[in-house]
Amino acid sequence: MGSLQKYYRQSATYKIFSGMFQELATFLDTLGKISENGYHVFKYILKREINSKELIYQCDRFGISSLPITLSIVGMTSIIVASQVALEMVKQGGGNFVGLLMTILIVRELGAIMSGFAIISMIGSSIASEIATMRVTEQIDAIKVLKVDPIQYLFVPRILSGMIMMPLIVIVASVIGVLTGAVTAKLSSGLGYRAYFDSMWLGLYMKDLGVSILKSICFGGTIALVSCSFGYHAKGGAKGVGEATTKAVVWSFVSIVIIDMLFAIAFFF
Amino acid sequence: MSIEVKNLIKTFEDKRVIDNISFKVENGETLAVVGFSGSGKSTILKLICGLLEPDSGEINASEGDIAMVFQYSALFDSLNVADNIAFALRERKDLRNKYTEKEIKNIIQEKLELVGLKGIEQKFPSELSGGMQKRVSFARAIVTEPNSILYDEPTSGLDPISSTLIEDYIVRLKEETNAASIVVTHQMSTITRTADRVIMLYNGKIVFEGTPQEMLAQNTPYTKQFVTASLEGPMQMITE
Repeated sequence: MGSLQKYYRQSATYKIFSGMFQELATFLDTLGKISENGYHVFKYILKREINSKELIYQCDRFGISSLPITLSIVGMTSIIVASQVALEMVKQGGGNFVGLLMTILIVRELGAIMSGFAIISMIGSSIASEIATMRVTEQIDAIKVLKVDPIQYLFVPRILSGMIMMPLIVIVASVIGVLTGAVTAKLSSGLGYRAYFDSMWLGLYMKDLGVSILKSICFGGTIALVSCSFGYHAKGGAKGVGEATTKAVVWSFVSIVIIDMLFAIAFFF
Repeated sequence: MSIEVKNLIKTFEDKRVIDNISFKVENGETLAVVGFSGSGKSTILKLICGLLEPDSGEINASEGDIAMVFQYSALFDSLNVADNIAFALRERKDLRNKYTEKEIKNIIQEKLELVGLKGIEQKFPSELSGGMQKRVSFARAIVTEPNSILYDEPTSGLDPISSTLIEDYIVRLKEETNAASIVVTHQMSTITRTADRVIMLYNGKIVFEGTPQEMLAQNTPYTKQFVTASLEGPMQMITE
């Protein structure tokens, strides 16, 4: 019986299934840790136990420092899309709808998701590596020994700043995206600004703006929460910091795409 | 009694790192914990200050704070020296509104003077030497007037003169605060200059308990091997 069990443990079937279960267990464990941290953060936010000095610093880091890159990425995406769309639509006689299409695309989707990707690369990775370094250099242990809750001190200002700054970034990025689209359409297909801007109001509703803002609040909070959580649970030395940062970026990317999909299903199906 | 540990057990995965350990440290007393690397010395400190939960056993500390000085100082590298020292006064729930900024500034000055550092309030940890970082971490640890101070290898990685300076400050802090102190160390000079008593750990158990003089007398195979730094003896390094 013992040798049969030993043989079974060496088999490919066992290795595949045990590997799958291990991955599933790790995934659920990670999800559990992120949820638990999120629960504690929102408890602190509801109790208004917020370090306002740190919050201002994090808002500056989250919003102001990332703005040039975020705007560039959204602007360039808009150029790419407008240059593909405008010429074809004008050729097919749909020039009057270029503004509408670009605006809906940017306000509903591109502005938020592309800003999200830019923020993950710049701020999410920086938060994860910062907190992971604090973990492996015992700074988080020092915070605990000094009887300060690291969740309150590290997580709350970062997550709240994400929730405050992300909608502002998305609004500015969307405006830049729509304007860049107008200029691109004009240059690539000769479409007039008046035709572009007249059509953009045909299908844009307050609901679109509301959903975009709500979505960006979720994006900002999720990116910061995921990044903080992976940094917080980092293990080992420099390798652990690198792994935590990579995982934070990957999980953040996947999380905001899932959130975006859920928003699309909930509001636009 | 300030710190009392009874029948403490801690296991990591399958390895029992702390195996039924008991000891006491009185106020104004310094206990040195010595042993091989990986013998569970730092784990004891983490259990006492609450960073780890024991599997079983009791840790009783008299009311008040337990401070810890970390092996690599663990200063907050994004904060300057003054903000590091004032961290608990500004961020801890029960202390947050207790002091005005002027009082906090005075406390920072007072603690920095106690560890022999002045005029470095605005410097960041990366601008300080290892010895200075250690002293700043002492100042940060004692800012809440703790009843117990735990030192995790306070002199490791320092030159002999800086080590002597740190040892002097350990003694000075004990005299100033009357705190119960536990010093985890490998260094003989730290043991002889700071400790009133010594316990030696091997395989998670206490294999020697006595004064530094008794340890230096090498009356047991364990103390003989440790003091002479011999490879021959009852304590075997795990090489696998």
